[in-house]
Amino acid sequence: MFRPLPGPPLIGQPLPRLTSPLSRRAFTLAGGVLALSGIIRPASLAAQGGQAGGPARLEIIPGGTQAIPIAVTNFVAGSPADGEVAAGVSQVITNNLKRSGLFAPIDPAAFIERITNVDAPPQFQNWKTLNAQAVVTGRVTRQGDGRMKAEFRLWEVASGQQLAGQQYVTSPEYWRRIAHIISDQIYERLQGEKGYFDSRVVFVDESGAKERRVKRLAIMDQDGANVHYLTKGSDLVLTPRFSPSTQEITYMEFGQGDPRVYLYNIETGQREIVGNFPGMSFSPRFSPDGQRIIMSLQQGGNSNLFVMDLRSKSTTRLTDTPAIDTSPSYAPDGSRICFESDRGGKPQIYVMAAQGGPAQRISFGEGSYSTPVWSPRGDYIAFTKQGSGAFAIGIMKTDGSGERILTSGFHNEGPTFAPNGRFLMFFRDPGGNGGPSLFTIDVSGRNELKVPTPGFASDPAWSPLLS
Amino acid sequence: MKVDKTLMASIALHVIVLGWGLVSFSSKAFESVEIESVPVDFVTDDQLNKVTAGIKSGKKENPKPPAEKIAEAKPVDDAVGKISEKKPIVTDAAPDPTPKPPDKPVEKKPDPPKPIAEDKPKEEPKPIEKKPDPPKIDPIAEALKKEEVKKPAPKPQAKAAPPPPPVKKREYKFDTETISALVDKRDPTRQAFAGDTLNSAPALGTAKGTAATLSASYLSALVSKIHDCWQRDGGGFDEEDLKIPITLTFKVDGTLATEPLIEVQPRTPRERALFDGARRAIIGCQPYTMLPPAKYAEWKSLPFLFHNKAF
Repeated sequence: MFRPLPGPPLIGQPLPRLTSPLSRRAFTLAGGVLALSGIIRPASLAAQGGQAGGPARLEIIPGGTQAIPIAVTNFVAGSPADGEVAAGVSQVITNNLKRSGLFAPIDPAAFIERITNVDAPPQFQNWKTLNAQAVVTGRVTRQGDGRMKAEFRLWEVASGQQLAGQQYVTSPEYWRRIAHIISDQIYERLQGEKGYFDSRVVFVDESGAKERRVKRLAIMDQDGANVHYLTKGSDLVLTPRFSPSTQEITYMEFGQGDPRVYLYNIETGQREIVGNFPGMSFSPRFSPDGQRIIMSLQQGGNSNLFVMDLRSKSTTRLTDTPAIDTSPSYAPDGSRICFESDRGGKPQIYVMAAQGGPAQRISFGEGSYSTPVWSPRGDYIAFTKQGSGAFAIGIMKTDGSGERILTSGFHNEGPTFAPNGRFLMFFRDPGGNGGPSLFTIDVSGRNELKVPTPGFASDPAWSPLLS
Repeated sequence: MKVDKTLMASIALHVIVLGWGLVSFSSKAFESVEIESVPVDFVTDDQLNKVTAGIKSGKKENPKPPAEKIAEAKPVDDAVGKISEKKPIVTDAAPDPTPKPPDKPVEKKPDPPKPIAEDKPKEEPKPIEKKPDPPKIDPIAEALKKEEVKKPAPKPQAKAAPPPPPVKKREYKFDTETISALVDKRDPTRQAFAGDTLNSAPALGTAKGTAATLSASYLSALVSKIHDCWQRDGGGFDEEDLKIPITLTFKVDGTLATEPLIEVQPRTPRERALFDGARRAIIGCQPYTMLPPAKYAEWKSLPFLFHNKAF
């Protein structure tokens, strides 16, 4: 039986001031973290591009692209009992950063210095020798009330500055989440973009023989840990989708009659049918505010797009064509919708206003396009492309330009964006007697990685950031 | 009184040995060797900078003058004649860089262009017709030959440049009034390779010529090193190019005197991360040993433009 997975109570606060002058300066600079939240508004970049007068400048371009070398030290345990958790936190952070492909964690076996006091700056020369650009130190301690306190500091080796420093208090069982949150802080400070580690993925877990596959709805952390099953597997479930703003998912389930769209609350375990429509309802997805669900309703041999307000239960028809319109997905600002339609013959991707109206076809390549999904950043639409005997995962700009195939093979399908829009997860079925697995890939097409799951897995849907 | 023979012998031996030592250990007098002068054209830093620097109003299609000087030079051919036109000045130390010293005794020399005799071949009519008086080279050699036949000095002409009839050397008497007479007033016999007027035609300058007013070799080495150290972070997919103006101030040992001065404020967290990445590269890359300490004033502070070209 599934147990609700409430979010851990977290108390996040900046670390206290250090006493040495160097540390004080470091903490002042750490205050720059505030700029991330928009408190500090930088002045306009007037001289950008070197247009300002003055002497001619020597222009330098980067010599190449390199993952940032970083050293994640073992977190110091406040007491011997915390040793395992402390090591686990370091391990999860290291794994997260490494899987992103944007960081190159240094092998701890090469470390010269062993951090024993996180309140003092590391000996930066020891880390410079290892070519580390940044060092992460931290401490895990058990408080008197039984809760766990985790602190971390991110140091820049070149300047000796502290770039970030935070502490969190939570129940000990949520130590993994703490590690993900710290990973996001590091990612965000060094890359200047939002992270994605503190997020979850809902997917369809598949087990059993190929002819009698049991498909259960499951949820896990984005790195494959903490798998929980949400349904028992008696009914077939497909296309789960995360709410962008609440702890809810929507999915399609083949029950006794027609397939229906369901709404499922992860925290309470409650589920309900979305609307009561004649015929099949399928391929649901939330609006960006989480207040509406857009889906396909079957009408005879065709299907059209409808949107239902979850509060008022009122339903609005968006398309009315003698074709199959399906797989709708909202732009992050909620103004437009991309969807798949075969109104032109083969399935292609179309974009229209969120209120309906004329749709514009944006996919014009060879083959057919399906399962479009709008990036949370708004800049790209990911899709599955079928043609030449292969299924490919690709992205294109929202006007259809700049199409880029990221991976191709026997069967790849169902892309879903990470919360920061930088990575995609999809499932791949190699054919034969095997089953599908989940993979992630950078939107640049690099760094394809398998996501560990207990069994076969398909139809992933990435959650928004939890914090 | 009886004299000890052994003592006497000892004294005698000591006297002999010491006396021999005094004679044989005396050092030779230092001989000053005359150094042959080498023609050198001085181009001052200012002139070089004028030549290499570009100006904005220059023509694009004419990026750089092909020569540094305008070649409207004096003809080379009357080099010898000029010297003989001047009244020879007799001095002890007046060097005569004109002729190439003949290494061999002159009588051996069948050199036709040297007008020893009047019946010279016609190939070289100029000097003969214009200046009937015989050039001095060979008479000098003859005179020298008479004086020191056995030893042809490596640079016999350098010692003096007397006219054909060897004149008695005047006794040198230091006279401040006549110092000017000691100065060689002859025109230089060597010729500049090009004209003596700088080519002041303006041009846009070349890629390297725009780099301040510096000679570029160590600057390009500096740029190359920072280029190698500065790596894209892989983030910012599909982002716009970003140009970051940064001024670096160095110490004379090639390390940074201050933190890199980033002259703009980041507008976004992503820009801040890019600024930080450039800053880390600059700091981590030092010392910049290719910077010559002798020219410290030139590179003490240098403006850069870090251009994060998107991948």
